[in-house]
Amino acid sequence: MRTSLRETKMLDDYNLRNQRKDERLLTEAKLILYPELRDKLHWQQRVYEVVRQYGRRALKAELETVHEQLFTESRFARFRSRIFRIFKKS
Amino acid sequence: MSIQKSDLRIWNCQIKKIKEIRVIYPAFSSHMIKALTMKQKKSKRRALFLQLYQNCFPAVARYVARSGGSLADAKDVFHDALIIYYEKSQDVEFQPPRDETAYLLGMSRNLWCRQYQQSGRYVSITECQVSTDLAAEEKHSALAGKIMHLLESSGRRCMEMLKAFYYEKLSIGELAAQFGYKGEHSATVQKYKCLEKVRDTVKQKSLSYEDFLA
Repeated sequence: MRTSLRETKMLDDYNLRNQRKDERLLTEAKLILYPELRDKLHWQQRVYEVVRQYGRRALKAELETVHEQLFTESRFARFRSRIFRIFKKS
Repeated sequence: MSIQKSDLRIWNCQIKKIKEIRVIYPAFSSHMIKALTMKQKKSKRRALFLQLYQNCFPAVARYVARSGGSLADAKDVFHDALIIYYEKSQDVEFQPPRDETAYLLGMSRNLWCRQYQQSGRYVSITECQVSTDLAAEEKHSALAGKIMHLLESSGRRCMEMLKAFYYEKLSIGELAAQFGYKGEHSATVQKYKCLEKVRDTVKQKSLSYEDFLA
């Protein structure tokens, strides 16, 4: 693995808490000493947020398909009318 | 019926070919099995969502309707509750609730109250994170949306791979199988390459968009 990838792995292990105590301490020392590494950690943490949002969007698309199925297929007609009755009353 | 010498020669030749394939692709068969399992996982998840929808959605719909919400609001809040439930269930320490309907209704209620009270309309978790600072949130959300769009169009394979590992919590072995890598080492290296690529894109685009939005 090339050096930059090893660094990315180290930051990934640090984030996921996959390091031993001594490894974690070493990473923390490096983060204090090297501002570029701190910068990389900051942006890597943003990637985890972006990936989570991406995952949520994909899951939401799956749920939309299930919703569509329930509100269009004839075998779910009883379920559908039950839901429509709830919103008719209010 | 006796076995002819020619049959034996063909048979031995076939065995030799299979052995050669196994030398080149040692994990081929297990990868195929794992890849099949991934498809099954997705269809199982869909069946579970369908079941949860039928069991729990009417209670959530009643609650949202009583609070003045629409069917679309009920759908959004229920989807968010299911997403959070799914994320929690991926945690190894997660204890499944005894009563899923009560659990999902409770979660939907909390989401509805918190989000509706803050903004007067329901804002889905896929649109923004829960925050009290709405102006900052809107700015952040616009930025995140632009970056997401860019990554969806130019780095889909990397995003799919990162999603599979970090969101769906696949093991490296499963990742290798799903994305067609020969082994776990290749998949690990590729995962870090993707992480680097996306990190650089997010940094570059965030800085340029922030300049644009400022």
